[in-house]
Amino acid sequence: MTSGARRPAGERPHLFARKRVRQTLLVWCFLLPSLAIFLIYRIIPLGWNLVLSFQDWSPMRPARWAGLDHYEEMFFHDEVFWTAFWNTLIYMASAPLGIAMALGLALLVNADIRGRDVYRTIIFISYPLMTVAVAIIWRWMFDERVGLINYVAREAGLVDRPIPFLNSFTWALPSVIAANIWQMLGFYMIILLTGLQNIPQNLYEAAAIDGAAARHRFRRITLPLLKPSLFLCFVIGMLNSFTSFDLVYVMTGGGPARATELLVTYIYKLSFVQTKFDYAAAVTVFFFVLLIVVAWGANRLSGGNAGAVEAD
Amino acid sequence: MKRRTVLGGALAAGAAVSMPAYLRAQSNKKLSILTWNIADQEALFKEEFAEFQKNNPGVEIEWLDKKGPEVPVFYQTQLVAGTPPDVINTQGALWVEYAANGALLDLTPFVQQDAEVAKRFNADYLRNWAYEGRNFMLPFYITKTLLFYNKTMFKEAGLAEPPKSFDEIMSHARTMAKGEKTGLLTLNFDWLYWPFFKMEGVELLSADGKKAAFNTPKAIEVLDKLAKGTESGAINKISWTGRWVEPNGAFASGTVGMHHAHSPAFFFFKGQGPWVNADTLGVAQMPGGWSTPNSHGLGVSKGSKNPELAFALLKHMTSDKWTAEFIRRRNVLTGNAASDQAGLERLRKDDPLTARVLETQLEHTDKMTGNWPLPFDAQLKDAFYPEIQNAVLGRKDAKTALADAERVVNRLLSRRG
Repeated sequence: MTSGARRPAGERPHLFARKRVRQTLLVWCFLLPSLAIFLIYRIIPLGWNLVLSFQDWSPMRPARWAGLDHYEEMFFHDEVFWTAFWNTLIYMASAPLGIAMALGLALLVNADIRGRDVYRTIIFISYPLMTVAVAIIWRWMFDERVGLINYVAREAGLVDRPIPFLNSFTWALPSVIAANIWQMLGFYMIILLTGLQNIPQNLYEAAAIDGAAARHRFRRITLPLLKPSLFLCFVIGMLNSFTSFDLVYVMTGGGPARATELLVTYIYKLSFVQTKFDYAAAVTVFFFVLLIVVAWGANRLSGGNAGAVEAD
Repeated sequence: MKRRTVLGGALAAGAAVSMPAYLRAQSNKKLSILTWNIADQEALFKEEFAEFQKNNPGVEIEWLDKKGPEVPVFYQTQLVAGTPPDVINTQGALWVEYAANGALLDLTPFVQQDAEVAKRFNADYLRNWAYEGRNFMLPFYITKTLLFYNKTMFKEAGLAEPPKSFDEIMSHARTMAKGEKTGLLTLNFDWLYWPFFKMEGVELLSADGKKAAFNTPKAIEVLDKLAKGTESGAINKISWTGRWVEPNGAFASGTVGMHHAHSPAFFFFKGQGPWVNADTLGVAQMPGGWSTPNSHGLGVSKGSKNPELAFALLKHMTSDKWTAEFIRRRNVLTGNAASDQAGLERLRKDDPLTARVLETQLEHTDKMTGNWPLPFDAQLKDAFYPEIQNAVLGRKDAKTALADAERVVNRLLSRRG
């Protein structure tokens, strides 16, 4: 674009006549609606939550300064908080397991086999399902009386008595984790499959000519070049673990006796069942810090440039 | 302007002036009512509200129904926004917290001013809605727990009568448990399991409500027996983990000997269990006549702009006419003594089994337990029940579980002052 009339030498152009200023303004005009929504629905509630965590407040009584009372209660007296924290870590740690399974499936459906598109669809179909529907399906699958898993296990002679998966301290959390992995598997697989298809075939051909075995090709070519996709799955898996409220709430409600209580379900109960919004705010602040630490750790693991966009 | 228009306008103005003052005052008033998972009664409510609006011209009624877990969330957000519904329907002890924190209107003066309203209710059920001697709600529909039993399984096990004591409950359950079959189920939410403790003389809190009173040798013994019964299969494990659908579904399957549940459970398992009829289903009170109520009440939000009108709607909904209609359509009791008796009379002829189930709801109403009017009931439940689960599902022994529960409950009580 060229400017119209020539200006006398030394005269500064009008502010809005400058191309860079106009471009910046345009960018801000596009950004402002989103930023306003982000501010209203994210930043302000976050700030309000932080303030709330230092107050005694409920919808039915005015706020009163409480200082660090809620934090003291949380760290030194609340056993449920620590149980929920520990369960959240276990739940989070299960993400790599799902990613490993998805990688195996991606390698399989990436191979030149008949009907691979059908397999891909079948595996992916779990992901778009509503989480509540997934939870209900798995609740019935794990049911002691009419569940498919118990039926198969008994028919195959693996167990004498049905296993109360969701009613047992031992099995409840692994059962919920299994349902979560099942739902996420298709999503991980698609990401990894895309990554696999972006790896140039000539690298494999060259390695094959050099006599590299399949496992060496996997270790030396596939894994390093798949690192961005694996990292993306890892980050999504972590975030999903943190926010997996509906699945747990519908399948077990956090029980039995807190066996599947996660921080996110605990925060909900504190707020809307016990009407302890102030204390829930303190737990949420901890939860937020934990998320930042995990995101930072994941970023470090990826080489410190996660989310960076390369300049032209 | 045409003569007809002028005449019409004059007539309308004249009618408005000649209208009673209280009716003029309420023109264009709006009442909102929030109910708890009772959308199936839409037709009834429409008729009720239409009649109310006919008697109170100019009043608009906005009815909103929410599923159980959504009610407190919705109500709390509306409280924060300063727009609580004028009339609210709650279940269990949720209302106490609202009442104690000033969200609900004290209905005592309204009830005292209107002798007919005070007299229409069963006194024990009306007392269920009192906090610190003041009534914050009126009964909407009433339920409490009872003992259902599978007569076929009783016969097969050689049992003639429903149990008369806690130990008999346990021995009956053991006798019937065999293979797939279990002897006993109980609902567990909202303290519905408390009659098991109460019938053995266990109290939850001290008389002044300041300390836990449940950690006694007797309570340990009761909990230990429940745990051993659960481990052996005499008590179905779903008792301690399921909420409503699962335990009732299990009893409907016909493989459980006894089921301690509130009366609405009957309609669920009757619908699911083809075996359920007057010859096969027994209905009894728990030993000692103990039961836990889980009724629904109607209250008025303190933030209501039209409290008198809101109370008038409560009065209308709990009147003989509309409670009788409610009983006829939904097979519930309402706490309105006259309507309940008339409804039972009809059911005894039409559906004796349902009548027998509902009759239990009006028996031993002085033996209701687990309905402590505590403003922190939800927190107390959350502190206490997981330890009960730990014991009955075998993670801790009864003594340790109750000691841990006592520690947590006492800490909660001390923090509440």
